[in-house]
This record gives sequence, C-alpha cells and structure tokens, in this order.
Amino acid sequence: MPVKVLPAVSKAQNGVGAFVLQCKRLEFNYCDAAGSSRGMKCSDRLFLKHCLPQFAKQNPAIEMHVAPRPSKHPIIRGVYINGREKVICVRNLEHNQVLKKAELLRNSSGLQLRKLRNPVQSINDSVRGIFSPFHGPKHAL
Amino acid sequence: MSLPALRRLLRPSLLSYSVLSRSIIPTVATRTALLTTSAVPSSTPPPPPPVSAPSTEPTTLTSSDLNLLPLLRAQPQHYATIHIQGFPFLVTAGDQVTLPFRLKDVTVGDQLRITHVSVLGSRDYTLKGAPWIDEKLFEVRATVIEETSEPMRIKKKKKQRTRRTKTVKSKHFYTVLRVSQIDVLEQ
Repeated sequence: MPVKVLPAVSKAQNGVGAFVLQCKRLEFNYCDAAGSSRGMKCSDRLFLKHCLPQFAKQNPAIEMHVAPRPSKHPIIRGVYINGREKVICVRNLEHNQVLKKAELLRNSSGLQLRKLRNPVQSINDSVRGIFSPFHGPKHAL
Repeated sequence: MSLPALRRLLRPSLLSYSVLSRSIIPTVATRTALLTTSAVPSSTPPPPPPVSAPSTEPTTLTSSDLNLLPLLRAQPQHYATIHIQGFPFLVTAGDQVTLPFRLKDVTVGDQLRITHVSVLGSRDYTLKGAPWIDEKLFEVRATVIEETSEPMRIKKKKKQRTRRTKTVKSKHFYTVLRVSQIDVLEQ
C-alpha cells in the first residue's frame, strides 16, 4: 500500500501573514422621491456625490454599488467574504453620519455580533504542556 | 530541601524568588530575572535572582540571564503576556485577541508593535519583567483585523411597588487583533 497523505485544510488566520479586508462589497441604495433620503440634494445624495468618491478611493479592495431603490428608505448593504450581509438603514441621517455607518460596515467582518467571553482565541497547543503528576520533582509526604 | 533547579516546571508558586513577590505596579523599574524551570536537574543550582530597588535606568540582564536567553530562544514555541492599556493577555503567535474596548487612532489593517510585555516564556524557560521586559529582547507584532461591537444589552431597573421601569442600553465597541509574531531577539 502506498503511503497516503492525510487530507488537511489550512486554518485561516487572517492577519498573520497578509491581511485581507473582510468586506468585499458595499451597496448604497436611495430613493429619489423620499424625504428620508433628505430631499435628494442633501445627506445621502450629498454623501454619494462628495463623500463616496473619497471613501471609495481609500478602500480600493471594496466594490461600491450605487443604485436607486424607489419608495424605500436609504440603506447601506455590506457583503462579506463569509457570505453574510449586513444592512444598515440610514434614513434621516446627515452625510457625515452616513459615512460613519459605511466605515462601520467596512471595519467589521461578516460574523454575527457576539458577547465577549474569552478575549484570547487560539488554535495552538499550550506552550508549557498539560500537567502530569509523573513528571517533575517527587513530593515527600 | 530541594535545589531550585529541581522545582517543578508547572508549579511556579513553589518558586520562592523574590521577584515573584514584588507587586506589579507600572514603574520604570525593569529589572528582569530569567528563571530556569527545567524538569531535568542541572549540576549547579542557578544563582539567586537580583534584588534591587526600582531604578530609572534601562534594564540590564545579569550574565546568568544572558547565558540562558539563547536557550529560551532555541525552544520551538513561545508565549507572551502582553499588556494593552493595562489589560493583560497571554498569547502565542497566531492568536486572536478581542480587546474589550475600541483602540483609538488605529484603522483596520494596521500593524502594531507591542511594547509592554511582562512575561515571555517557553516550555522550559520563563523571562519575567518587573514590571516590563526590555524591548530589545523581544519582537511582538499584531495586526488590527476588525472593529466590531457586542450585541445590544438592555438592562431594566425596577423597584418593588413602583410602576416606573428604567431601561439602560449598552453596546460596547471592540477592537480585534491578530498576534502575527512573537520572537525572542538575538543579543
């Protein structure tokens, strides 16, 4: 029998070697008629016209989509590498607030929000080894 | 009565070096002591650790520490207790650290060089700083991979026989780091 290689998948550790931004696409939807997009000329539209080009330039790895979504509130949809989506409704927000929401989506990974229980997550074995009563100096009773 | 070299690898509490009894207060004192915690008894016991008053001068290793540092460096795996804004985290290379706060003035993708390390160890050797280890001895780098938050927590406060209920919401921000390398540097 020839020697078979054990099939093993590498464990993803983003940031150890290279860092890959988890957000791959941001979609900006707005409505031309609705007031929650701030009268069309301000806020979301102002964001789209003035803030978004600079934001897109600063984040070349993220695909930017802009599309009207009539009769709906304006939203920002973030699509992530793990396949999940995060949607934030930016109704009635000013342009700088919309930018903050876009940055929030850019900075997060697609993972669901979780309560912090253990700050350190590791896949490595313990460096000092597991305790063994058979190793080390003997105790005298 | 056993030699210090025979002390158990995994029972640091048995070590009665005076460095361990010193409280960890962030002072400028950085006198380090390299402890040999090998399970194999050596022929001569290691010298007693240096006990000195806190000084503002940079750390100097004793000759015995300098002799043991290559042995620490030669070991395959290392761990470090890094301190970020006072919070200690025991990490190895490749670990993900979720800080319970948002780290200021960093963006996602930034590389950080950790400066405050109090313990640098391997399987058989441990280097303890008092309170920090000299930065020339190690290189610990981390990458900021995410800025996220906890889910919204809602706390309701209500007293007995009163209809009023107070609602307090909180949603703290977290910064997530990935420790990319822990190296003991050659001296």
